[in-house]
Amino acid sequence: MSTATNNPRWTRQLGGLVRKDLRLELRTKETVVAMVLFAVITLTIMQFGFGTRDDDLTRFTGGLMWVTLAFTAVLGVGRSYVAEREQRVLDGLLVSPIPRVVLLAAKAIAIVIYMAIVEVVVIPLVGIFFVKGAYWDSIGWIALVALLANVCIALSGTLFSGLALFTRARDLILPVLFLPALVPVVIAGAGATHAVVAGANDMADYRGYCLFLVGYAILFFLVCVATYDAVFDD
Amino acid sequence: MPDLLVSARGVVHAYGDRRAVSHVDLDVAVGERVAIAGPNGAGKSTLLRMVATLLRPRAGSLTVLGEEVPKGARRARMGIGYLAHDPLAYLDLTPRQNLQLYADLYGVPDAAARIDDLLDRVDLIARAEDPVRVLSRGMSQRLALARMLLHRPQLLLLDEPHASLDASGTALLDAELGAARADGRGAVIVTHEVERIAQVADRLVVMRAGRVVADEPVAGRGPAEIRARYEQAIA
Repeated sequence: MSTATNNPRWTRQLGGLVRKDLRLELRTKETVVAMVLFAVITLTIMQFGFGTRDDDLTRFTGGLMWVTLAFTAVLGVGRSYVAEREQRVLDGLLVSPIPRVVLLAAKAIAIVIYMAIVEVVVIPLVGIFFVKGAYWDSIGWIALVALLANVCIALSGTLFSGLALFTRARDLILPVLFLPALVPVVIAGAGATHAVVAGANDMADYRGYCLFLVGYAILFFLVCVATYDAVFDD
Repeated sequence: MPDLLVSARGVVHAYGDRRAVSHVDLDVAVGERVAIAGPNGAGKSTLLRMVATLLRPRAGSLTVLGEEVPKGARRARMGIGYLAHDPLAYLDLTPRQNLQLYADLYGVPDAAARIDDLLDRVDLIARAEDPVRVLSRGMSQRLALARMLLHRPQLLLLDEPHASLDASGTALLDAELGAARADGRGAVIVTHEVERIAQVADRLVVMRAGRVVADEPVAGRGPAEIRARYEQAIA
């Protein structure tokens, strides 16, 4: 008797895993709702903490937005493997003929989607809370840099959450590993945002930061491809 | 197909300084069902997890379905069906959604029909759209059985399979193990239920403190005789 499978296509495996993560999130609504609430609360605290209505916080917009998104990302990435760990499903995935990097890609895609949902709320809220002057015209550019940054966050976050998964103090280790890795993303995200808000339109600066994010994503993608088998195989 | 579904030579695995499996040899021929028994901590589950490619041997050589492990682990995994203590199912998904996920991971053709067939066989078709979270332990294990059989594996690896199955699940599993022998598949069954071995296995391997202390056929032996031999081996 032969097995029914014959070298399964990675695209089908990836689709199945992403569908599974989104189904779980739709059913439980645990991760995205918590991320959105966390981001809104953080921005609200900053709004009260950094000044009154009359203070012009426009020049801090990029920093406030990306610090909030970075901490929100830690929250989301920290929950990447919660279902697998708590419901003890990981062995089922690992005993299947799935390239480990496909497992990473599926988790990364889910994080990109979760972050995008958070940003749909955060980006307008930042404009309302902190910007005096033109903001809504540059929202497309901010969304573009957010998309690039999401890929960076997802790749590095999935790598570190995979590493932390097999440690006892995973809840402590993940932020310690992940937050320093996010510093370049925060710098580039904040820089690119600053370059386009309030009519600055410094597109040379903006492009430079975006290229930096592309480089960061490529670097982490290569690191993931090179190491993810070792992360999961024993 | 290789003559031996599993060939382990001097495999070793350790957790830190503690050796869980120490220089173990194990062969499983085509159509053979091997039961591994032993007291707690004997290394049975660790050996099974190595054969399942979930743990790497620290020393020795291991070939599963003709593939050297860990190098050819991914190809070997296509033919492995693994039944663990846990159902390995997402509790917030339904049985059908869980099986669909595994069908995608294994590239099962005509997945919808295969899933319906299996849900029917494990008597879960009426609960196919309920979250696994609300199923009983016995039902969850029957789902695990369906998951294990989904991709028609050549090698079944079962860790205490009868522990939480109900009567119908047990009957189904025993029938499947009988069929495995007939159609040239193989099985490795880790069990504490020594009396059941005559029913489900062709060979008994007894482990103690990470080593194999007995390896012999069970044909023609009754449960009492197998129990006596087991007690003698672990003494």
